[in-house]
Amino acid sequence: MTAHVDLNMARTLAKSSAVSVELLPLVARFSLRAGTSEQAALSKALGLALPTKIGQCARKNKLEVLCLGPDEWSILAPEDQAVKITDACEAIYAKAPHSLTEVSDREIAVQITGVKATDLMTIGCPRDLDLLPVGEARRTIFDGVSAVLWRDGADEYRLDLWRSFAPHVISLLETGCTELAAE
Amino acid sequence: MLLVHCPYCDETLPELEFTYGGEAHIARPENPADKTDDEWRDFLFIRTNVKGPHFERWRHAHGCGRFFNAVRDTVSDRFLTTYKADAPRPDLAVLLADASMKEPSK
Amino acid sequence: MTTFRVPGRGRVLHNRPVSFTFDGMTYQGLEGDTVASALIANGVQLMGRSFKYHRPRGPMAAGSEEPNALIGTRRGKGRFEPNTRATVQEIWNGLETNSQNKYPSLKFDVGAINDRAYMLFSAGFYYKTFMWPRSFWDKYYEPFIRAAAGLGVSPSEPDPDNYASRYLHTDVLIIGAGPAGLASARAAATAGLRVTLVDENSEPGGTLLSEPQAQIDGKPAWDWLSAELDALTDLGVRIMTRTTAIGYYHQNMIALCQKLADHQEKPAEGAPRERMWRVRAKQVILAQGALEKPLVFDGNDRPGVMLAGSAQTYLNRYGVRVGNKAVIVTSHDSAWYAAFDLASAGTQIEAIVDTRPTPNADLIKEAAARGITVLPGHTATGTSGRLRIKSVRVNKVENGKVLTARNISCDSLLICGGWTPTLHLFSHTKGSLKWDDESQTFLPDRITEECQIAGAGRGLWGIASALNDGAVMGAAAATALGKSATAQTVTVTDDRPGTGESHTELPTDLDPGKARAFVDYQNDVTAKDLRLAVREGMRSIEHVKRYTTNGMATDQGKMSNINGLNIAADALGKKQPEVGLTTFRPPYTPTSFGAFAGYHKGEHFEVTRKTPIDSWAEENGAVFEPVSLWRRAWYFPKDGEDMDAAVRRECRETRKSLGMFDASTLGKIEVVGPDAVEFMNRMYTNPWTKLAPGRTRYGLLLGDDGFIRDDGVIGRLSDDRFHITTTTGGAARVLNMMEDYLQTEWPDLKVWLTSTTEQWSTIALNGPNARNLIEPFVEGLDISDAAFPHMSIAECTFAGFPARLFRVSFTGELGFEINVPARHGRALWEKLFDAGQKYDICTYGTETMHVLRAEKGFIIVGQDTDGTVTPYDAGAGWAIGKNKPDFVGMRALNRPDLTAEGRKQLVGLLTEDGTSKLEEGAQIVLDPNQPIPMKMVGHVTSSYHSDAAGRPIALALVEGGHGKTGDTVYIPMPDRTIKATITGTTFYDPEGARLKL
Ligand SMILES: [Zn+2]
Repeated sequence: MTAHVDLNMARTLAKSSAVSVELLPLVARFSLRAGTSEQAALSKALGLALPTKIGQCARKNKLEVLCLGPDEWSILAPEDQAVKITDACEAIYAKAPHSLTEVSDREIAVQITGVKATDLMTIGCPRDLDLLPVGEARRTIFDGVSAVLWRDGADEYRLDLWRSFAPHVISLLETGCTELAAE
Repeated sequence: MLLVHCPYCDETLPELEFTYGGEAHIARPENPADKTDDEWRDFLFIRTNVKGPHFERWRHAHGCGRFFNAVRDTVSDRFLTTYKADAPRPDLAVLLADASMKEPSK
Repeated sequence: MTTFRVPGRGRVLHNRPVSFTFDGMTYQGLEGDTVASALIANGVQLMGRSFKYHRPRGPMAAGSEEPNALIGTRRGKGRFEPNTRATVQEIWNGLETNSQNKYPSLKFDVGAINDRAYMLFSAGFYYKTFMWPRSFWDKYYEPFIRAAAGLGVSPSEPDPDNYASRYLHTDVLIIGAGPAGLASARAAATAGLRVTLVDENSEPGGTLLSEPQAQIDGKPAWDWLSAELDALTDLGVRIMTRTTAIGYYHQNMIALCQKLADHQEKPAEGAPRERMWRVRAKQVILAQGALEKPLVFDGNDRPGVMLAGSAQTYLNRYGVRVGNKAVIVTSHDSAWYAAFDLASAGTQIEAIVDTRPTPNADLIKEAAARGITVLPGHTATGTSGRLRIKSVRVNKVENGKVLTARNISCDSLLICGGWTPTLHLFSHTKGSLKWDDESQTFLPDRITEECQIAGAGRGLWGIASALNDGAVMGAAAATALGKSATAQTVTVTDDRPGTGESHTELPTDLDPGKARAFVDYQNDVTAKDLRLAVREGMRSIEHVKRYTTNGMATDQGKMSNINGLNIAADALGKKQPEVGLTTFRPPYTPTSFGAFAGYHKGEHFEVTRKTPIDSWAEENGAVFEPVSLWRRAWYFPKDGEDMDAAVRRECRETRKSLGMFDASTLGKIEVVGPDAVEFMNRMYTNPWTKLAPGRTRYGLLLGDDGFIRDDGVIGRLSDDRFHITTTTGGAARVLNMMEDYLQTEWPDLKVWLTSTTEQWSTIALNGPNARNLIEPFVEGLDISDAAFPHMSIAECTFAGFPARLFRVSFTGELGFEINVPARHGRALWEKLFDAGQKYDICTYGTETMHVLRAEKGFIIVGQDTDGTVTPYDAGAGWAIGKNKPDFVGMRALNRPDLTAEGRKQLVGLLTEDGTSKLEEGAQIVLDPNQPIPMKMVGHVTSSYHSDAAGRPIALALVEGGHGKTGDTVYIPMPDRTIKATITGTTFYDPEGARLKL
């Protein structure tokens, strides 16, 4: 059984000469679902154009919007912007119906950086990471666990994980961190 | 482990991201109450169980989440094509001709 | 006393001695040696006993194809591994190794009696010997087979090592770093591709390591090799040694097992022992070379008999002469070179015996120049020597007649029956093979993957052809990937191309029925066994294989398959392609379970999901149980309580005052959109239109086949927003099913689903004091019974946290479920626990939850239902909206078999003695005196001791059960038959008075 991990406290989880693994602070998260005809109104309400290609991100004023599916976006924002986002979307609901559901507590984020960050990702991610451009993200699978994998830099990744799966994945990343340093 | 092309993501990706969804092009009847017992039985249980090219459903469960359709040869385990859920059923003859062009070198 | 080491020769480090043990004796070897090369250097050839006959055996080969020299290795506590090939295991200071299949010692083994009784162990003995009498099975045959079966001894301690795994994507994966593989890598990497080059050996080079005499582009082979490896590294080629491609799967997925630790005295801290690579390559090049075949004749297995090419490898790569006096018996040119190399190194070559009447004239000339006796057109008919060969018996063959024998004394017999392309991985892809008459072997034919075969794998012989073909195939792979590439040609001098002939058993003047001419060394299968199998009616090569076990050992017949095929074909009077080849399957070489498991052992055995309250439960002594991927608190024992006692107390305290339960694992789905209510009406059996915001309802979900799939309490938060709860195990399945209907059947509905299972941490409070406890924490909401009745939902602030509060009960007591954002789950739990002390709050786990719900007759989907239970069967017909036009499963409920008489229906069961607790899963019969097999009419689905009822209670599915209330049924158990009465399913507070507090 994996050891207990406090997911509320941002901190360094593991660090070696090869790579470091950080638990990031919690942010406001929303799942936005809407049909094609509502996208323009929602873009206006949020103040940034919703990306329409799966995996693409739009960023503005600390707002990060990722297209996860043809009718699905993930919105990340500083916690103090949560109410603003809810209100803006609610205001247009009647003429542009959609689903905005808060999932701030559903997920936590882990950041992986270092010269062997990509190698560390390959212990759990079956995708060809050479095909994931910097600045984009994909929902994929990591050691059997659904996760959103962000590529923030050549050697910088972020994994959004559902809370209950996090201890398993974090423990695996810690193991990999030690293993890579021993190479 | 197969590689599956998701027609929504337009990427060819590891099978681990996908789940299988049974035979394709079996629409749920509009008015189930109008169907006879035998018709409903067929809708529920009767499948073609093809040896060869099989029209089937997959879901990009650990990706974009979409259900889509595929034609896969159940003998070779090779995909002939994948297409969006609302796209028409492709012509098998055309697919087979395409596939034989793409076979690895002799 | 290393009399067989050739100073200065080979790639071993002569100034770096290494000591290790074999069967308790300490030996000196050199860095770079394998156990086999080091033992041979010490004059030791006897390394094991054979599997069936316990015949003394030495190494036949110098690589992973070795069938005989299997040893146990020990690398410290828990690190014992049986069946390691001595020819692969590298030595290091302190390595402990042992021979196998012997008692009491390798030199004197009582099991060798089997060799005398070999008639008993002929083909098919498994099927013949142990047939009768039947009563002998348990006492004699099975114990005997178990004792005899298997090679080596299983490790007895847990494996303390770590194993790793990675995914790798590459443009071109080249398997085999011999000349063909190296040249392929150069061509593909020069074209700018990502190239991965792997080899199972400790260093790349393949044949070049055994043939240093060759000159490539004017450079000695080893100089060329080291320059070429540098060049490849500069080009970014990932070169992996000690890495075996064990399996080739669909769409160029290749599994590689990389050995990282076994060759080291002190592996790096934190480093895994082995790593499994799951590689996806756009192009694969198989450059695995070829394996030498033995010749089949009586006594071809004595220690000291070895493949000629392997002897050449021992000499040139390891600097070890395999003997002082050697005889060569061959049907192929290649063995002559082994003779010449050994002669140059000081081994006396007593004779080169060639089965061909007129071998290559240049070779004969070279032999003559060296003064070596050449015996063309000869056969080998026997050997002598007990623990090591002493002589070989050879005869001239003229016009098919075997003439008088002569014995030649020797301490080494080097044999060669030609070469077999290594196509095991190609065979994994279902690529087809074609018999090639000229080379008497199978060559690749139809290729089914994006793959090329280079060099000896497609029958090309010699270093020059391997290098040049490798370059062509590397360029072909690059071209296939849209790169322009050219194949560089190299010139090789002192190359050793050659030809040969293939044989069945060699002709003999002795009784072939008495010959111990081995085909499969590891499984002790002789030529006679194969012929017997055909005589006894086996026609398919697959049957011959299974009847004789030829090729079924851990080496998968790397040496034996073609010889076996030749003999079987001869016995059948057919040509080889008509008989066909058996299928090779992964793994290419035996692979540890650890490598397959990778990280998935111990705490990583599988994903374990934990709730935000899990850590509190652990700190407070909870016992956990797995529920789907979750681990959940099962019960909270106090002061030495066992499970029964703890559960009784938890049940009692909850009903008496207050119990608290972590319900965070409940699946939650947020349904939002203008069509939310329409969607709910279509998905669930219940009517939703009239459910007002702020109210909840028990929802029942069916499949379109009419069977119960899931259930849960569903709250309406607003006109367009529902909060669904599902079962713990059903959450992902239910969401998938709903998405399926939404995406593919009703894409026109404006409604969207979001999983919020993990957004909320859910705490259930049950018991008469539930409201008393929570009232002070609730802000902005009146939770009195009048304002907030049973089955209500509201958003509020709870203990300062934003919350969704349900009034709901799964226990029959006054109950609330508080949902707060997951990060606050534990904090809230602790607040409630502290405040609850004045009500003697008790924390309870899943077991108490199960008992309390069973007392009320609430079903657990998946326990009281099994995928064939309709709402009517479960007594939940009341949950069906009678006026709805359609919902998933509605049409099926009218199907004849779902309305038929005699369906299994959910009932209560009370044992007549009032004390016997039934076993869940136990079968139910109506008449205990009927003859066996009895007619079973149902089974027990849930059974508990009920503190509230003061007796055991049970739920069961019984044929026509709803019409049998009051009837007596019987539950036969191994020791007795239990009598029980069918009842209703509610055992406690049938009026539901306790909910209304
Ligand atoms: Zn997709």
